[in-house]
Amino acid sequence: MNGDRVRAISRRQAYVLVRAPQRWFDVVVWPVVDAILFGAIGVYFGQQTGTAAASAAFLLAGIILFHVVFQAEVSVATGFLEETWSRNLLNLMVTPMTELEYGAGVAMFGLVKLAIGVTAVSVVALIAFAFQITSLGLALIPLVTILIFVGWSVALIVIGLLLRFGQGAEILTWGFIALLLPLSGIFYPVEALPAALQPISEALPTTHVFAAAQQVVAGNPLPWDQVGIAAASAVVLAVFAVWFLTHMLGVFRSRGYISRHV
Amino acid sequence: MTESDPGLRAPILTATGLVKQYKRIRAVDGIDLTVDAGERVALLGPNGAGKTTTLMMLLGVITPDEGNVEIVGHRLPRERSAAMEQVGFAAGYLPLPERVRVVEFLELFGRLYGIRQPADAVAAGLERFNITELARAMGNELSSGQRTLVGIIKATLHQPRLLVLDEPTASLDPDVALRVRTGLERLCADEGTALLVTSHNMLEVERLCERVVFMSAGKVVADGKPDDVASSFGRADLEGVFLHLAESSGAFPTADIDREAS
Repeated sequence: MNGDRVRAISRRQAYVLVRAPQRWFDVVVWPVVDAILFGAIGVYFGQQTGTAAASAAFLLAGIILFHVVFQAEVSVATGFLEETWSRNLLNLMVTPMTELEYGAGVAMFGLVKLAIGVTAVSVVALIAFAFQITSLGLALIPLVTILIFVGWSVALIVIGLLLRFGQGAEILTWGFIALLLPLSGIFYPVEALPAALQPISEALPTTHVFAAAQQVVAGNPLPWDQVGIAAASAVVLAVFAVWFLTHMLGVFRSRGYISRHV
Repeated sequence: MTESDPGLRAPILTATGLVKQYKRIRAVDGIDLTVDAGERVALLGPNGAGKTTTLMMLLGVITPDEGNVEIVGHRLPRERSAAMEQVGFAAGYLPLPERVRVVEFLELFGRLYGIRQPADAVAAGLERFNITELARAMGNELSSGQRTLVGIIKATLHQPRLLVLDEPTASLDPDVALRVRTGLERLCADEGTALLVTSHNMLEVERLCERVVFMSAGKVVADGKPDDVASSFGRADLEGVFLHLAESSGAFPTADIDREAS
């Protein structure tokens, strides 16, 4: 892998973020809106039962961690979308850059966007609801790491679908990851879901990450069995995502879909 | 490097037996094409002849159903990255990304093509085409002709062995087109750069290219010096050949011109 090419793509992504105010919506505005919304819901329901602080903490921990996976996915997928919007895809495809170098460059700057987004939601949670995400301690490290890999894997699947179906599929950039929100038991145990959805929920790595986070928020030690299941299913998802993207790239080249982007 | 240098006429691009079928349309039907170092070749033909599909296969963006492409000894798709280090590409129809300045765009692609410190090459390129005042302009502030010039500078930054230009002078004023043509002739003569160009401007082709390859219905129907190809069709110039092929439907007489002998 050529580091100069990776850094060049990251720099290109930085230009886009700095000069496109609407991009800040994904990075800052949605996280802030979510933090206020779910924090307030937690406080309100908690007041009904006399557990306001605990309820808010439960919801805020969930939404902050959800924004890790959301930002990881959206930053990479929109990074690719930017090349289709600006009709720059052909220019990039005829350079010596490999797909891996491109992906690494976008993901590298994606981490910057992720840091900005998660910081925004964490600061609002702290200021408005006195919830400190760092209270989860070192447990955050494995949980956040798994969520970032899950976000990147979903992004690869979304990019594969964009290559196959063109810009008409761009809604999946935000829609696909939104499916994880109800299915991952972010704010409730899996048992609260309809019975038919529970097996799907159990198969998702995010479900086990959030279940582990809820244990820690409740004051229990990190359940490593949940972390292990999450890590294993994240690896399976990553392998599938790489296979899917490679297959879709083959279809893209074979069927001449570049004509959609010139 | 001079015309007498034996290395000057070594093959840079070799394509054999290229076939591409899109559902019921055979876009390319058994194309063989060789371009030697320093050679200036035009790939011509009416709309739907298969030029663009052929170019995209030569650049590795579309996978051929049959046939092989080799660039400076590197076989596609296995050695695509190494092959593309030797290739520059520009198209008159491709815009510049809106959110980058000209100098940033050129430096990005300089790095993607392996130039570690591209600033000097970028400055020289802007100077060569007399558009240094555009260095800080944003992509969406340029006229179509200026965008084309920037695209050509991008394609030549890394001194490629093969320069592929798709409709390069389509939107240029005659004086600018002359400057581009002169620059390209000098590049091919001085550096031994091979040029493969598509154009609908037959006068431009006659001035720039020493060899023309006409395609029709996915096949090569003529290959040789412009004058020889025109006379083989009983026409005064390439414009006449183009119009003849565009008006014809079905089979075309193949002008089997031995370019080595001519």
